Amino acid sequence: MTESNDIPIRLTLNKSLKSVFCKPTETLLSLLRDGFGLTGSKRGCNQGLCGACTVLIDGKPMRSCLTIAATCNGRDVVTVEGLLENGKLSTMQQALVDSGGVQCGFCTPGVAIALTSLLREDPKPDRTKIREALSGHLCRCSGYIKIVDAAEAAAEKAGS
Amino acid sequence: MTQEFSAVGLSSARRDSSEKAGGAAKFADDYSVPGMLYGAILGSPIASGRIKSIDLTEAKTVPGVVSILTADDLPDRRVGSFIKDEVTLARGYVRFVGEPVAAVAAETKEAADLAAQLIIVDFEDLPSVCSLDEALAEDAPLVHPGQDDYVRTSETPTNGNIFWSASILEGNPDAVWDSCDVIVEDTYETPGQYHAYMEPCSALAEPDLAGRITVRSTAQSIFYIQGRISDELDIPMSNIRCVAPKIGGGFGGKNGVSVQPIAVALARASGRPVKITLSRSQDMEMLRSRHPTRIRMRTGAKKDGTLVAREAELWFDAGAYTDESPAVLSFGMLCSRGPYNCPNISVKGHAVYTNKLKAGSFRGFGNPQATFASESQLDALAVKLNMDPIELRRKNAMKAGDHWLGGQTVDSCAMTQCLDALDERLKEEVSALPPAEEGWQRGVGVSGLSHISGLMGTSAFVNLRADGTVALQTGVVDIGQGSDTVLPQICAETLRLPLESIAYAAQDTDSSPYNWKTAASRITYTAGRAVMQATVEMRERILRDAADMLECSKDDLELDIGGTVRVVGADRKVSFREIAARAFNRVGGPIVGQHAFAFDGPRFDPKRAAMSNFAFDNLGVYVFGAVGVVVDVDTVTGKTIVQKVWSAHDIGRAINPQSVEGQVQGAVVQGVGYALLEELVWENGRLTNPSFMDYKIPDGMDAPSEITVMLIEEAPEATGPFGAKGIGEAPIVGVAPAIANAVFNATGARLTRIPMTSERVLNGILSL
Amino acid sequence: MGPGMTFSEPETLDEVCSLLSKDPEARCLAGGASLVAMMNAGLLAPTQLISLRKIPDLGAITSMPDGSVKIGAMARHNDVAAFSGFLGAQRIISAAACRIGHPAIRNMGTIGGSICHADPSADYPTAITAADAVVSILGSEGARQVAARDFFVDWLETTLEQGEIAVSVTIPPDPSNASVHYEKFTRADGDFATVSVAACLGMSDGVVQTFRVVVGGVAEKPVRSPEDEAVFIGRPLKDSDIVEFSAALEALCNPIDDMRGSADYRLKLMPRLISRALKRAQADQLVSDSGETA
Repeated sequence: MTESNDIPIRLTLNKSLKSVFCKPTETLLSLLRDGFGLTGSKRGCNQGLCGACTVLIDGKPMRSCLTIAATCNGRDVVTVEGLLENGKLSTMQQALVDSGGVQCGFCTPGVAIALTSLLREDPKPDRTKIREALSGHLCRCSGYIKIVDAAEAAAEKAGS
Repeated sequence: MTQEFSAVGLSSARRDSSEKAGGAAKFADDYSVPGMLYGAILGSPIASGRIKSIDLTEAKTVPGVVSILTADDLPDRRVGSFIKDEVTLARGYVRFVGEPVAAVAAETKEAADLAAQLIIVDFEDLPSVCSLDEALAEDAPLVHPGQDDYVRTSETPTNGNIFWSASILEGNPDAVWDSCDVIVEDTYETPGQYHAYMEPCSALAEPDLAGRITVRSTAQSIFYIQGRISDELDIPMSNIRCVAPKIGGGFGGKNGVSVQPIAVALARASGRPVKITLSRSQDMEMLRSRHPTRIRMRTGAKKDGTLVAREAELWFDAGAYTDESPAVLSFGMLCSRGPYNCPNISVKGHAVYTNKLKAGSFRGFGNPQATFASESQLDALAVKLNMDPIELRRKNAMKAGDHWLGGQTVDSCAMTQCLDALDERLKEEVSALPPAEEGWQRGVGVSGLSHISGLMGTSAFVNLRADGTVALQTGVVDIGQGSDTVLPQICAETLRLPLESIAYAAQDTDSSPYNWKTAASRITYTAGRAVMQATVEMRERILRDAADMLECSKDDLELDIGGTVRVVGADRKVSFREIAARAFNRVGGPIVGQHAFAFDGPRFDPKRAAMSNFAFDNLGVYVFGAVGVVVDVDTVTGKTIVQKVWSAHDIGRAINPQSVEGQVQGAVVQGVGYALLEELVWENGRLTNPSFMDYKIPDGMDAPSEITVMLIEEAPEATGPFGAKGIGEAPIVGVAPAIANAVFNATGARLTRIPMTSERVLNGILSL
Repeated sequence: MGPGMTFSEPETLDEVCSLLSKDPEARCLAGGASLVAMMNAGLLAPTQLISLRKIPDLGAITSMPDGSVKIGAMARHNDVAAFSGFLGAQRIISAAACRIGHPAIRNMGTIGGSICHADPSADYPTAITAADAVVSILGSEGARQVAARDFFVDWLETTLEQGEIAVSVTIPPDPSNASVHYEKFTRADGDFATVSVAACLGMSDGVVQTFRVVVGGVAEKPVRSPEDEAVFIGRPLKDSDIVEFSAALEALCNPIDDMRGSADYRLKLMPRLISRALKRAQADQLVSDSGETA
């Protein structure tokens, strides 16, 4: 049901072109979760402070909870679901699994996005660089060590 | 059996981690169903007041509003495990800012929120008490003036806002203080800490036309929630089905109810599914925290470091309702001696009502507070005695066969081995670290630690499938700690199968066998025991059938890895598949196993200790450990950075070492936050920092860059599955005192109050 | 957020000014990092959101012929942090930009959004004041330019009038090739500053040529005292002068108690961080001096 001030937008979402109406106040996070049923991106704080809603917009990690959906018209959005390659976990996602970097899993989607972006820009980051890329991604379970391990392992695997 | 293992001791990847890493795992708020309404809760805007009237007129005009509930619409019941002082929605009075007063269900979240804001409540403001000092002051206003009328599980004396007091006495401290060569005494203060699970609390309640209701919610136990909904809303448990979605962390914060009864009440009122998901701020204001405490403690020792006496008095700020406070207080008291022998000890404890959100269970359960005091005192003693701090602890460390405070016998204990392992690593590795930056001072600090693993009832069902694989069921909710992997590992190992051969069912009160809660570091130990025993029962039946098939004695049979039963020393064997097929179709019926038990370990010993008003009479097996930290303190700002942590744990046996390490590292960082950063702050009865903007938890840059975990498997627990004990809570317990001791080592400032914010550290340095 | 809120993406600044001048409750949407967070928290409910992302070139960072750098209001923090055309004291801008929030926030947030939000604990207000920057403002009444130190008026308040928008920040050239140091103290990674110090120090032949020190987080707006700065010019940098300077600045402070620290702590930190910032800037000067002679 659309209303008079709803805004039609077209965006590329996980590689496929989508047309949708959104409300002026609707955030990208709400559009993803409620509009597209892509519940991988999580609402941990709705203030941009926990990182669980992070997605790639035009290739860069951004907070979907702080992004007004209407501003995504014409842009490219990738969520954690879009990191899958041929229906399988990406190298980075698989490394999170193998290294023990996934515990409760609520921060994992945002972490996977941030680290995927890092490895695209810097295929061989050291542990300090990895921690900097994780900055602003809150995880209460892991103590971050195994998440950093995972990024190192993924970098190694991609490089081999 | 041979030494080879098929599943236990292997660092198998968490079985649910692929779904989580791919974004497909469903948490409570990820569920939406057709016709679903959104719920919103109006929290009290004031800390203490009488509700004169509630006007719903305006709220009802909001388009899309379907149901609005206040206490008048609910059964008039008070509930609670220890003292029945709680209600679902405020009835007559409110006692903290954020306390649920009314609830709305509407077609959209926005409509529900708007309507909740438009509910007009006319309050008569009453005086409030928002700290221990205010609550304990003479003539302080009472949080519960009618508390003596509440139903209680134990007739403990009350005194003003003190609603529970307990005591322990062993030996006679008063008689021996004069014989001590050194005595240290201080008062310690610890803050309210927010659990900060990454997933805010949420519940989806779906009624059906037959009068049953299904609840998917953020909870550490499906059975506890089922019971609590039944109790609060007077619905038979048979009409409530609780199903566990994925849970985004708990740490004790999802131990009790959050919004489930309110969601169920709204669903019943509207006849439609209702989902309530709290905002982060509501989650912080409405639910629970770790108990803020004040602890006065005195310890005396001989010149050689032998502990002689300790006296402690603990005040736990419980917030507005009892919740689990008597248990948290009791356990904190019980941990006031720590993992050391000391013959003369007196502990008194009090739980105090204040007009703040409830304090409840939180990883460590009263122990981190007591251990902060206790291990700070040991450090001060070591300084006075000019003794190595690890040596002092080693000298007094408990050993197998010793008794915990209260008299419970400790059968497995690797405390000394943990201290030795820590000592060795610190000696090797501290000096190898790069030096502190200019202007920063480095310090090393240690702490011993201990905790329990156990409590209460649990059970498991297991059955052999037609192809020789296995289906396992328990009622254990995996809140991120890894039981969905570890319990199948125990089952697999018992049958010498690989982990992949075990299907593990999601938890559902309609079909899962009972488990109390994912709490008390108990799952690997208690549910693991149940799984193992159920599987052993099934294994016996498998072997009996195999003996029939192979026409030999059961005693001549052994299990090969991979689901084969073989005659020892012969080439005659039969596979699980063949055994299962025979059972399914011809002889004896499907092969199943089941086991149920309640923790049955040693109890307190009244001959050793005089104890009054304890919330429980036995707990579990004890686990031990030691933690060391290196900190750098910026003498310009007081900023303290934990550079490296070594955490040694008497784990009995690590079922999944990688998972154990992850638990330890996570707990350590939660402890770093507790020590340096995290504090809920109230002003005029209102929580001033209910957001991640104002309440900071460590991120990857704040956390130590290295956390070395040492798993000490030298003292397997005879009653545990494959020797295992629990690890969930222990690793947070010693972190704050180790850091405080390191700050002292770096600067000479002894901080007795946490969090050790930069401001407090700088003030400590400047007042030297 | 009222259900009646509207959203627009005008393509000219004139359109923006026209929309703003007609509606005091309209808000410009730049990166969203602060504005949307406040909307989500229910602290702000604009009647309309005017997205600036379609305005051509508003995010450009340009080195001008006179040596100044013009930063468009929509320039993202990460782009400013990575811009290599800053020289001398101008570099205080990138030094501050790379300390804002977290990586994803730096991909979103803009310099225009940050300075218009005017949080005295934020990084840009302090940095652009230390850079002697000029803010270009466009309104329905025309354009005007305001020095950074006059741009900030009070807590979360700027000199912008209704119908006006900040379109760029111009960083003047620094012929003295000063060193910079941005000293930011936070409780936790990525937080706003408890206290921050932006220092620009240029020295030649052992005497101070450029001296600008601005403190954030200790008053309703960045604290700066050009008169007290002037004392340093033409003299060697002496510890005793720095102590006096800090004492003089303290008289201009009006700190508050909040979750990031008490007023007392902020006042304790200020001289300590000023001294540290100047020492680090001076060390950089020595390094670059020796680099030149080598």
